[in-house]
Amino acid sequence: MKKVIALLLALVMVLSLGACSVEKTVETQAPETQPAATEGTQAAAPEAAGDPVEISLWTYPIGKWTDEATVSALLADFNAAYPNITVKVEYLDYTNGDDKVNTAIEGGQAPDIVMEGPERLIANWGAKGLMVDLKDIVPAGTFESVLSSCTSADGAVYEMPVCMIAHCMAINRDVFEAADALQYLNEETHTWNSVEDFFKAVQAVYDAGNEYVGTIYCGGQGGDQGTRALITNLSGGTYANAEHTEYTYASQENAEALAKLYAQDGITFDTAIQAADEIQAFVNGTFQMAFCWNIGQEVTNADALSFDVLPMAFPSDTTPSLQGGIWGFGVFDNGDEAKIEAAKTFIKFMTEDDAQYIKAVEATTYAPVRDVEGVYATDELFPEYNLLSPMMGDYYQVTKGWTQARTEWWNMLQRVSATDGSVEAILAEMETAQTAANAAAAAEG
Amino acid sequence: MVKTPVQYNKKQRRLVMQENVAAYAFLLPFLIFFVGFVLYPMFMCVYTSFFDATMGREDIFVGLKNYQDLFQDEVFWIALRNTLVIVVVSVPITCIFSLWVASAISKMPVAATSAFRCIFYLPVVTGSVAVTMVWKWMFNNYYGIFNYLGKDVLGILDKNINWLGDEKYALWCIILILLTTSVGQPIVLYVSALDNVDKSLVEAAEVDGATPKQAFWKIKWPQMMPTTLYILVITTINSFQCFALIQLLTSGGPKNSTMTIMYYIYYSAFKLYKYGYGNAMGVILAIIIAILSALQFKAGQEK
Repeated sequence: MKKVIALLLALVMVLSLGACSVEKTVETQAPETQPAATEGTQAAAPEAAGDPVEISLWTYPIGKWTDEATVSALLADFNAAYPNITVKVEYLDYTNGDDKVNTAIEGGQAPDIVMEGPERLIANWGAKGLMVDLKDIVPAGTFESVLSSCTSADGAVYEMPVCMIAHCMAINRDVFEAADALQYLNEETHTWNSVEDFFKAVQAVYDAGNEYVGTIYCGGQGGDQGTRALITNLSGGTYANAEHTEYTYASQENAEALAKLYAQDGITFDTAIQAADEIQAFVNGTFQMAFCWNIGQEVTNADALSFDVLPMAFPSDTTPSLQGGIWGFGVFDNGDEAKIEAAKTFIKFMTEDDAQYIKAVEATTYAPVRDVEGVYATDELFPEYNLLSPMMGDYYQVTKGWTQARTEWWNMLQRVSATDGSVEAILAEMETAQTAANAAAAAEG
Repeated sequence: MVKTPVQYNKKQRRLVMQENVAAYAFLLPFLIFFVGFVLYPMFMCVYTSFFDATMGREDIFVGLKNYQDLFQDEVFWIALRNTLVIVVVSVPITCIFSLWVASAISKMPVAATSAFRCIFYLPVVTGSVAVTMVWKWMFNNYYGIFNYLGKDVLGILDKNINWLGDEKYALWCIILILLTTSVGQPIVLYVSALDNVDKSLVEAAEVDGATPKQAFWKIKWPQMMPTTLYILVITTINSFQCFALIQLLTSGGPKNSTMTIMYYIYYSAFKLYKYGYGNAMGVILAIIIAILSALQFKAGQEK
């Protein structure tokens, strides 16, 4: 009798094992709440009734595309037109997002759609042959300069661009006004009078009793576009060559700019913080300027900001060259034609029709990638930030070896922080980093 | 004397067979997990370490090249040194502190013992991300509580210290946080081990004139050796595998001063896509941990 019970128990355990896995599957397929379609898209009656398809959309934090209510409303519009396609959304962050996607790729479970920028979609996953060419669904009127940044060297469009922004810096206008430092900049054009005036402004704010004016954050790669843009604009130097085949930042002028920042009162090199920490410290009033900023930061931190933020181009003696951000959809080639078609259908829906595209773009809080009437019609912030868009410079984030190059950059800044601040020492560190970055670029062919 | 094998009749053999089947059936669920999530990944780790493996292309067999590169990699040696510092500092402190706390609280009334056990165990059951974020705030260069106390309240600091951004302090800050999250379990285990010590032996020793110190070291301590051995091995392995703190606080910086082997494995594999290289490092780490654990077991058995 005991043996029978023992065998039954064993059987139960084995079965429960199976039951556990079934339960897990059910959990991941829990029905998604789908709010009613918003007005205006109801008219788009089901156009495509086909076999049910489920696709996954993983999105990095791009404006309100991290906000479940906003995304659910967009999905409701889509499902009103395509009830047979279910879209499962997963929200990523910039700390662990890459790990999640890479692990999924290696496990053969890559998402069907991922929303991010060319540095990942083109230079990384696209270059590794993992993405689907979306050339056939690019809407007419997409800005040529944007489209070229989303096109790989072999002519494939691995990113369907949705929005763009010129990354900028920001100052605490109240503090600058109190320190009489607004004289060093032009509030209408959001530019600095000159590089020299930028340093004068920092000194004035520091002399007014603000110990921490700004920081060269280098605790990690997050938001490194800010430090790159600051240094290359101060110096008028470059980060990569025009062909995007080689890194060029180890130059005398860039080293001199960094040395000047090193010596400047009120500017620290902080090896413990990344851009997210810098933004937080700017928002809470610790720093008086942030080098990693864009309209999205002001929108997300609106409730926490207790001062007037003035978005600014980076200081330059010529026309500022701002680091651009272009975000859009990429489709992973998971070998399932039905899912690829469903993913393309989703992207077409979000980008083709102007009315729907405006909703998709406004959810990003960034600028559209084609001329479209009525976008941000009631938004007060957008026109101010959009003044900086024409200053968008070369999109060098697609240079080969980009992953390694990013790592080398912030590590280089950490090492620079431990030097004596001389141009020679800084240049030596820059050369070390650049050599490693170029080796990675060469290895990628 | 020659041992003759037990002879079973047919019915007995069937019973033995049934028992064996039942035993394996019970083991089966665990075996599936063990093979699928321990043995197979271990084999794949060793296997992949002989390849130049990356995303998006076929792996290329490179033999021992990953291992050769590893030993010429300056960052690997820095990571190994930092890892050993963490182990050498945190393991003895964790064990001694846990033993001291357990000895102190085990003499208290039951309610007080339970309360202290809970307090020391709280950081273990609290999410590591939450704990780490609180520490990050406390260490903050600009508005952290340590700089506030040191500079504004006690006046022992001239200027703020960038605790996590200064290579002189960063690793020690990591070790401090690691200690707070490591002592909970050993304290609970030691309290339990002290409760299980044979009281009659302690009383007999005291009757024979042993001092409390002698009773502890001559009677209680030897009986707690298995617990101590377990704590040593577990703490050593946990210290070697220190990862979340580094990832959340310093990313291995500043200037690799908090780079550990575990973080460097993650960094090589997931940031630089050098899977083979990362696996080679994993193999080396496993060998080091295995050797140290074996030495600890050996030392524990000799005692």
